Amino acid sequence: MSPDVPPAAAPAQDAGAEAERAGERGALDVSIVVPVDAGDGRVREVVEALGAELERLGRSWECLPVFDGCRGPAWEAAEALARELGERVRPIAFQRPFGQSACLAAGLERARGRVIVTTPQYVQVDPRELERLLAAIDAGADFAVPWRQQRVDPLLNRVQSAGFNLLMRRIVGAPFHDLNCYFRAMRREVLEGMAIYGDMYRFLPVLALRQGYDVVEVQVRHLQEWGGAGFFGFGVYARRVLDILGVVFLTHFTHKPLRFFGSLGAAFALSGGGLVTALVLQKLLVANTGLYNRPLFLLGVMLFVLGVQVIGFGLVGEIIIYTRASALREYRIERIYDKQ
Amino acid sequence: MSPSPDLSVVVPVYDERQNLPLLQREIAAALEACGWTWEVVYVDDRSEDGSLSVLLDLWRADPRVRVVALRAHAGQTAALAAGFDQSRGRVVVTLDGDLQNDPADIPRVVARLDQEGGADIVAGWRKRRHDGFVLRRLPSVVANRLIALVTGVRIHDTGCTLKALRRELVESLPIYAEQHRFLPAMSAASGARVSEVVVNHRPRRFGRSKYGLGRATRVLLDLLAVKMIASFSRRPLQYFALLAAPFALATLVLLATGLARAGPPTGAPAREQVLLVAFLLSFMACVYFVLLGLLAELVVKVSETGGRRILATTLEP
Repeated sequence: MSPDVPPAAAPAQDAGAEAERAGERGALDVSIVVPVDAGDGRVREVVEALGAELERLGRSWECLPVFDGCRGPAWEAAEALARELGERVRPIAFQRPFGQSACLAAGLERARGRVIVTTPQYVQVDPRELERLLAAIDAGADFAVPWRQQRVDPLLNRVQSAGFNLLMRRIVGAPFHDLNCYFRAMRREVLEGMAIYGDMYRFLPVLALRQGYDVVEVQVRHLQEWGGAGFFGFGVYARRVLDILGVVFLTHFTHKPLRFFGSLGAAFALSGGGLVTALVLQKLLVANTGLYNRPLFLLGVMLFVLGVQVIGFGLVGEIIIYTRASALREYRIERIYDKQ
Repeated sequence: MSPSPDLSVVVPVYDERQNLPLLQREIAAALEACGWTWEVVYVDDRSEDGSLSVLLDLWRADPRVRVVALRAHAGQTAALAAGFDQSRGRVVVTLDGDLQNDPADIPRVVARLDQEGGADIVAGWRKRRHDGFVLRRLPSVVANRLIALVTGVRIHDTGCTLKALRRELVESLPIYAEQHRFLPAMSAASGARVSEVVVNHRPRRFGRSKYGLGRATRVLLDLLAVKMIASFSRRPLQYFALLAAPFALATLVLLATGLARAGPPTGAPAREQVLLVAFLLSFMACVYFVLLGLLAELVVKVSETGGRRILATTLEP
């Protein structure tokens, strides 16, 4: 299984394969999806730790390590596991990297579990905490998000992570404390029908919450990482600020691009127009100095043109949305009460 | 219940607990007299006052009641869209959950679909409104005039929720993004015949209004978008060319003025410099608009629908 293109975000692309899989869906309790993007990822440790924990809890499970365009020792380990455990471990590989969201989508497409558990490629959180995540799902939650307690990673990581989460809470209004931990459990319905692409992976809890799913935060014990990335430089988190802008746009304005571009453009255009009007009035009424002596005049004209252009972008956005309108659904039905 | 009733009444509900039982009685009374088979589809938009449990009582009491519970609050347009998607009637009537529309008007609105040459969508016109003048009626009159002027669809009251639509139209209409106000305009754009009927409007009895004045900017921006989609979705370049026109005019005027004044360089800042920069900027705006228009053409070209949904009505004897 080595798709050369990222799997389509929306399921139900291929009706035949869909029907074939339909019988398998929900056949197991838990599917673990592990995106692997480094050849030295600790796949064996993850599978063995989580597998043992799931055995202890008496749940049927499978694990889908998704290799994001990398092989190396991790791939060999996954192959060995597949030989040892058979159907339990089904490695998936991309020929080149497509990112974590594509990994999750590919894993979801093939997963048979009723609950999907995602985990980083190393044991980041005490495997025993899986019990509490699954208990939260059993208690009726749709999505269980961890909140690492007593973080053991370097101070800089923690500061950046705290800053990121604070920004998310303030700007996006997402009530989560630890969006950077991917040890999550969710019902598969949450993911089905949700477009998973780009950096959506990180924001899944936010998107799920906005769609009306019950997302709960579970406090978990942070484990000294058993390997893998322990330290993140500034660049990693700087990019995430951009992600926040993206998620604000996507959660608030997806269907109304002109509301976003239009407000922004109107602000520019009005301030520019106001400036020009004020200067012209001043010239006519107060002092008859030529407008060429007023740099503000140029600023005004530029702001106006800028604003009008931004509105133009919004209009192109509207056209795009309209042409896809039949595929948009702004509501999610919880239940239909029909014939009794 | 027959699989496809004559009439579906779609009611988006948000915090209308006290109004619902009365509304259901009135709907039943109004439709009972007509001899149609009917269903009511209530869409609970995640009410917080327990409307859903009231709806479920109605659902238990009457097999013609169906209730769609949304997972998250989605807004009136999305709730309507959910109701449309679940409705089965050959004619769909939309109604507010707040009792301000009179269900007794339903038969007249529906009948209008087949009168005077027929219509595909009939909008209610609340000629005598019982709302505050400054906050509700005045903005509404202004908005309606503006919408009629811009879209060319002469409807007096686009904000009235009481509307009747044929099934074919319901299925071909893209309903998204708070556009219920623009349903007549969007319908006309896909070839539907639009008509209106004066309906009764009653003061609110329970609950409170969920509208305010803050919608003005949004309505304006939406209008800009709807105009483009309704009139130009197949040829967006023309719309963008229209937007570029004032800048093109400015460019020409500035260029002419600049040329007329052109003379030997003096070294001092002068009118000509300002003219030059202003000319360049408006020229830029022009070029950008045309380029954006081309981009939009591209989008329309790769879309499945060719940018426009067309309603083909089969004439019934």
